[in-house]
Amino acid sequence: MSVVALSHVRRAYGGVRALDDVSLTAPEAQVLALLGPSGSGKSTILRVIAGLEPVDAGEIRIGDELLSAPGRTAPTEERRVGMVFQDYALFPHLTADANVAFGLDKLSRAERDATALKWLDRVGLKQRAAAYPHELSGGEQQRVALARALAPAPRAVLLDEPFSGLDAALRAELRDATLATLMETRTTTLFVTHDAEDALQIADRLAIMKAGKLLQEGAPRQAYDFPASVDAAAALGPVNVFTGRVAHGAVATPFGSVKAAHLPDGSSAQAAVRAEALALRPGEGARVLSVRPHGAHDVVRIEAGGVVWRALIPARTPLGETVAVEIQPAGAFSFSASS
Amino acid sequence: MINAGVLAAPKQSWRIDGVALVAALATLICAAPALAVLGLALTRADTGAAFGGDLLRDGAIGTVSLMLAGGGGAVLFGAAAAWLVSLCRFPGRGVFEWMLVLPLAAPSYILAYAYASLTWAGGVSPVPVSGFWGAAFVYAVGLYPYVYLAARAAFASQSSCTLEAARTLGAKPGHVFWRVALPLARPGIAAGGALAMMEIAADYGAAHHFGLTTLSTAIFRAWYAHGAPSVALQISAVLLLGAIVFLVLERRARGRASYAGGSTRWRPLPRYQLDPLASAAAIVFCTAPIVFGALLPLAWLGRLAILHANVEDVAGPFMNSMLLSGGGALTTLALAAAIAVAARRAAGLGKASLYAAAMGYAAPGAVIAMGALALFGLAREAGWVGGFGANFALIALIWSYAARFASAGVQPIDAGLARLSKGLDASARTLGAGPWRRFARIDLPIAAPSLAAAALILFVEILKELPATLILRPFDFDTLAVKAYAYASDERLLEAATPALLIFVAGLAPILLLTRGIGEARPGQRARQ
Repeated sequence: MSVVALSHVRRAYGGVRALDDVSLTAPEAQVLALLGPSGSGKSTILRVIAGLEPVDAGEIRIGDELLSAPGRTAPTEERRVGMVFQDYALFPHLTADANVAFGLDKLSRAERDATALKWLDRVGLKQRAAAYPHELSGGEQQRVALARALAPAPRAVLLDEPFSGLDAALRAELRDATLATLMETRTTTLFVTHDAEDALQIADRLAIMKAGKLLQEGAPRQAYDFPASVDAAAALGPVNVFTGRVAHGAVATPFGSVKAAHLPDGSSAQAAVRAEALALRPGEGARVLSVRPHGAHDVVRIEAGGVVWRALIPARTPLGETVAVEIQPAGAFSFSASS
Repeated sequence: MINAGVLAAPKQSWRIDGVALVAALATLICAAPALAVLGLALTRADTGAAFGGDLLRDGAIGTVSLMLAGGGGAVLFGAAAAWLVSLCRFPGRGVFEWMLVLPLAAPSYILAYAYASLTWAGGVSPVPVSGFWGAAFVYAVGLYPYVYLAARAAFASQSSCTLEAARTLGAKPGHVFWRVALPLARPGIAAGGALAMMEIAADYGAAHHFGLTTLSTAIFRAWYAHGAPSVALQISAVLLLGAIVFLVLERRARGRASYAGGSTRWRPLPRYQLDPLASAAAIVFCTAPIVFGALLPLAWLGRLAILHANVEDVAGPFMNSMLLSGGGALTTLALAAAIAVAARRAAGLGKASLYAAAMGYAAPGAVIAMGALALFGLAREAGWVGGFGANFALIALIWSYAARFASAGVQPIDAGLARLSKGLDASARTLGAGPWRRFARIDLPIAAPSLAAAALILFVEILKELPATLILRPFDFDTLAVKAYAYASDERLLEAATPALLIFVAGLAPILLLTRGIGEARPGQRARQ
């Protein structure tokens, strides 16, 4: 198990900057989630770490070993980095246990079979060892792919949207099971997702990407509570944004003021307020446009001064046609709008 | 060759160069005979004797008339049968669906020999199958499956939603057929018709047997009867240019056929239930081409072969055929694999090799053989080779097969390559597998079924090939096709039955392989991966 470190990595395809000066460290035996929309470069990070792509600038290391630098790409097969692909990429002509055994060719035949079976057992698929990939369900395929990637005891494992093809109920279950396996094996993990909930649930550390750039890196709680930008805040949940001028160390939105003590008075600023940081109670101040159920919460669209925001409040909170709005400071941020 | 590692590897210059080199070589191998024909026909046109013009004119008239008569019949049979089994429901529909391709097993000359023996003394046919209309009949019943397959694919790829949309817009079932289904299938029918007509133009054996003058038989006459190679080359060039025109037409039609697949929602195609009378008519209509194109000639040849088994006469040619077809198939397979990989990997040259292979496939066997001889002549003029010995003849023959049939192997191999995804290669690499292990454990096993299918198809195509084999074979080297031809030319049709039957039966193997996949033409019926 080792630290995976990228320093100042750049990678462009035909003029598009997939990775733009990204420096990032995946700590040993922890799970680092790479969160971002599609096209943000997060999958490219996995591909350069696996050596499936070269880097145009910068370096990639595992521990002390230099893996990638411009003009020098250690072959994928010699990196000992496991990967679970988005479509799992199970070998269609091999059974589940043969898939898992594929990376174990250094072992004797008996050891290989035993290890493969042990790993299938570990992901709860011992009884499906003889099944071919097309005979497995999506969730089972994902587990075989995870077992296959972990079986050769890689120095790090890369997961590319491993839960994206699965329905919601299965997704949560598999996410927990995967996390348990990763923690048990203390594998350094980089995990790509576009789903904030996946990232917050599974990650020890979080790296938020957009358009090839790293927006923020840190512990999930810290990233949630202290976003570095509007985009970083929006990556972890719905936010309401209002652009205005700083006056008396705050931005006055139609729903209340947001502190901006770190910005000079008179400068242009963006206030970002998490939907769940809006408290509504009966009163005056904003008009209720609609109330929609969202699991344990309701999504309420409110309007004031021609601006519409969304609030996420406990379900079935009784509301009138108008409400009083309170912005809770813990979920309200302000950023300079000039940068 | 079939290494997805090569396909999916990160760009490294020496690998691209390797693939480009292979692609260039493959292009050259496929295109050289055809280019030699065109080049020499243009540069050495001076010796064309007076008879050359007449021969060319008569041959062109003969070929075009046969293409119209035989091809028209094939389009009629093929399109109507495809419509019946695709859009109607009647007893036996499912059986007809695959049996209708059976006539593809027999080359036209084998059908011609079968019908000649049917109408010969001791035959049972009340109507003689001979002359121009005999040939047209043999082409129509033997080649309609080209139209049938293309039209059936076109009908089958039409979404039921399109047809139902037409009905919600107020069109009656009959109108739906004329105004939606048929126009959507028309490019497919045209492509199939072009293929059938190319086969007619390429045929030598049947036209020769019925005593007709076509461009193909004119090449032989100029070469053997008149000893005028330059005339043979000129006629070959005309035939080749015609074939290329048809190839382009076929490709265009096939390109347009893809607009039929506009809808992305698939449901089982609703078939119209035919009433008993119409069902009986449909059964008769579908039975006739199967009987005339496959069952009747097969049964008759079988009967003659049993009555007149000349095993010892055929044993030698049989072995020769096995060796030649085996060697030719392996060579062609390697070439086809190189082209398939190059087409996926090296953009420009890969395309070029595909076109060269398509041109070779379109060119009649006689033309390719003329090209091989012309190349040999050039090499001898340059002093590179001496006489045209037996070994040299075999090399020229196998080269001709490879140039002629590589295209037939590319498609199944490409289908196999398509199953090798970059993801599989990448995942094997993350599991520590180097290039050889990836090739042996991933690429080869996954592509193997497609390679085997391609090898079988090529083996049978080469086994059936007649004109190139006739021209290029070493002296006294008889294959089954040559033996059948020689007996039939001597009017010894009883003796011709055994080699003809063997060719027919061998031809059935890839047909049965093909029919296994026929129901999978509709996207909705494909098994989920």
